[in-house]
Amino acid sequence: MDLLLQTLANGILIGGVVATFAIGFQLTFGVLHVIDFAVGAWVILGGYLAYFMSSLLGVDGFLALPVAFVLFGTLGYLIGPIIYRVRNSRTARPELMALALTFGLFTLLRGGMLTFWGFNTRSVDTALSGGSLMIGPVAVPMLRVVAFAFAMAAAAALFFMLYRTRYGLAIRATAENRETAGLMGVDVHRLSATVYGIYAGLTAMAGVLMGAIYSVNPEIGLRYTLFAFFIAVLAGLGSVGGAILAALFLGIIEAVVATYWGSAYSHLAIFATLYLVLLVAPKGILGRGL
Amino acid sequence: MTAGAAQSRDMAARASGQPILAIRGLKRRFGGIVAANDVNLEVRRGEIVGLIGPNGSGKSTLFNLVSGMFKPDSGQILFNGTDIAGMKAHRIARLGLARTFQIPALFENMTVTENLLAAAAEGQWDGAHERAEVAMQLLTLEAVRDNRAIDLSGGQQKLLEFGRIIMRRALLILLDEVTAGVHPNIRKIILDAIVKLRDEGATFFLIEHDMELVRSVCDRIIVMDAGQVITTGTFDEIARDSQVMQAYLGRRA
Amino acid sequence: MKRWPSILLLVVILVALALLPQFVNAYWLRIATGALMWAGLACSWNIIGGYAGYIDFGHSAFFGIGAYATAILMGGSFGWPFAATVPVGLVAAALVAAVIGGPTLRLRGAYFAIATWAFAEMLLQLVNVLEITGGTGGLSLPPFLDENFFYFTMLAAVALTYGVTWLLFERSRFGYKVKALRDHEAAAESMGINTSLVKLQAFALSAVLAALFGSIFAYWVTFINPKSVLGGDITDQMVVMVLLGGLGSFWGPALGGVALFLINRLIWMNFGDTAFYIAILGAAIILVVLFLPEGIAGLFTRRGKPGNSLLRQSLARLVGRGGRA
Repeated sequence: MDLLLQTLANGILIGGVVATFAIGFQLTFGVLHVIDFAVGAWVILGGYLAYFMSSLLGVDGFLALPVAFVLFGTLGYLIGPIIYRVRNSRTARPELMALALTFGLFTLLRGGMLTFWGFNTRSVDTALSGGSLMIGPVAVPMLRVVAFAFAMAAAAALFFMLYRTRYGLAIRATAENRETAGLMGVDVHRLSATVYGIYAGLTAMAGVLMGAIYSVNPEIGLRYTLFAFFIAVLAGLGSVGGAILAALFLGIIEAVVATYWGSAYSHLAIFATLYLVLLVAPKGILGRGL
Repeated sequence: MTAGAAQSRDMAARASGQPILAIRGLKRRFGGIVAANDVNLEVRRGEIVGLIGPNGSGKSTLFNLVSGMFKPDSGQILFNGTDIAGMKAHRIARLGLARTFQIPALFENMTVTENLLAAAAEGQWDGAHERAEVAMQLLTLEAVRDNRAIDLSGGQQKLLEFGRIIMRRALLILLDEVTAGVHPNIRKIILDAIVKLRDEGATFFLIEHDMELVRSVCDRIIVMDAGQVITTGTFDEIARDSQVMQAYLGRRA
Repeated sequence: MKRWPSILLLVVILVALALLPQFVNAYWLRIATGALMWAGLACSWNIIGGYAGYIDFGHSAFFGIGAYATAILMGGSFGWPFAATVPVGLVAAALVAAVIGGPTLRLRGAYFAIATWAFAEMLLQLVNVLEITGGTGGLSLPPFLDENFFYFTMLAAVALTYGVTWLLFERSRFGYKVKALRDHEAAAESMGINTSLVKLQAFALSAVLAALFGSIFAYWVTFINPKSVLGGDITDQMVVMVLLGGLGSFWGPALGGVALFLINRLIWMNFGDTAFYIAILGAAIILVVLFLPEGIAGLFTRRGKPGNSLLRQSLARLVGRGGRA
């Protein structure tokens, strides 16, 4: 029983961290109509930033959080409009070209990281590394609890922005119907830059947390792309609300399968669930729309 | 079924005076909206029948039901003697039904010639290249034969969509606003082609908002409102019908 | 009219390739064999991705099925001759394609891409834990060290692949049906085309051709493991090669496949086994998407109006004309 509780707690905590970038991923799909393959690369870049800050500058890994948001947010702000232009260009098959573009971005970032930083796995040091917290009979690593709390706070801030500000209204309107939003005076081009920026920044922050919890390695990026796809499919592409539920569910399956069957099977289980959900309910089974 | 078999069957049916399209008790709802509410109508061989009605009255839904894009909830659609209700779209097409779409549904990355040939790929392939030449000539598309459909002007796209219809050699042709927004010259080319195909034996059923066009080519007009056929008759009869005016101006008035 | 020069070109290329072993050493022959394989694999991907417009991000599954069929059947407990294992791989690939194709091909665009990717990764994970496939350790095949044999086998497979593609997609009504459903599925249906069946046929054909190269590859390299024949990198390369060469064009996959493979080997010769190639792949995709959406082959086609690439559009905008005159 304790093992089960322990497993569930771990799964939920990780799911919470995954939820932060899953929400951004969904938002990006809603506004830009693009599936971003590069999501895993943004996670890893955040992790590397934390690693370099803690190992080279000797500062706490968590200090990388704001830096990651600003740095990768800016980078995303610059890249967003390019994706938007390809997605809306008059060339043949823009949807496919945009998909290829983000796939190219992912491959470029992965190849670049492998070239410069190699295949070695790096770990990120923080003040909280190693400590744990007792919740009833269950011991959970302090790091995961704080990461979860931070992720939830970031998600809450994002939700506040989406549902309580004029800017959020513009984003939601654009996700609902781009043409109408454009007619109502929303600068969809600028908005897509901002949304991609916020998403890249959030994702890199989640990467800092993931780097602190696990470790960093360029090859692991694909795993996070898989997570984002899994959540997007389960929640329905573009659904922000469903993304949190789906992320927690993902964390739980991964933890449960890894604990009871072995970690070799956890990817198999995630891929199999992803595939079956796509075949049975391609529009998603949790939540709808923004 | 081969085109030849369909044609010989058509000849037999023609002799018997059976309508080419007979719809009985057709129903289809989408959630709470009843898009087709007990539709009954007939289209006879060799006719050009216009289908008019206010926006949202169920005209396009009816076309989608007949062509197999949607499945009806209940009712019968007899096409050339066969009940096609719920049949897959490609099987209905092979029985000799062809249609255009409200927004031109071209094969965008294919050239004009390729679009025409693709229309004949399932059907009579022998002589398709020659027929494509004839169609391009008729529709004045020869100069753009090697242009991709996506690079054509709006009017040329409408012409090309009609060209694919010509290639189908269909018995019954459904046209969904085939001249909407086109230049008068192009409109004239399409009208002439409709009359030409009809003289060769095709039957037309067309959704149209252009009343001048309806008046000049349609033998008979069917009026729909709120998912039902409200009346049918010649243009002059319809023009005098107060129900039709009400449908267009609003029932509450 | 356009038909004869292309066939003539095909014959000239075939003759030149058949004579190649007379002029190069074993080292370059191996590289030529690899280039042929990738040209063939890119062509197989182009059938589903380019002609049918379904972006398959899991095509490595079929390459792996062919490779594992040959490796398992030629291995210790079976000991079959190579030639007998090839048909088994092809049939297995066709069956898998037929079974998963039905439900998977109902998905469109990004959904299809994700589903095929998930399927291929699932297969990879499964092979990792199965006993008959040797798990992560992989399988060894009886070595056969005749470079000429593999060169000519690969050449025959490539000739077959391009021949079949030419006949089906450039010269017959089947090609029109496939391209029609790519561009507008509902319109294709309304022209009597059984789109579900036609796309399944295209999918199965592309799967079978990929499996053919998998079988030959396994025998050629004499050792395979899940990563070497089922890895995502294999699909990635096929996709990039086709994009680079020209999506949906006949010559594109050959151009892109050979070009990219040679770049790969050049980097390998100069820098050894480096991840730099992956970065180059990524940069190549981005550049192609932004500036050359029709690939290398698009540079040679005259059809349509110019002005489709973003580069041209931007230039046109700079001089004050719309991108689409």
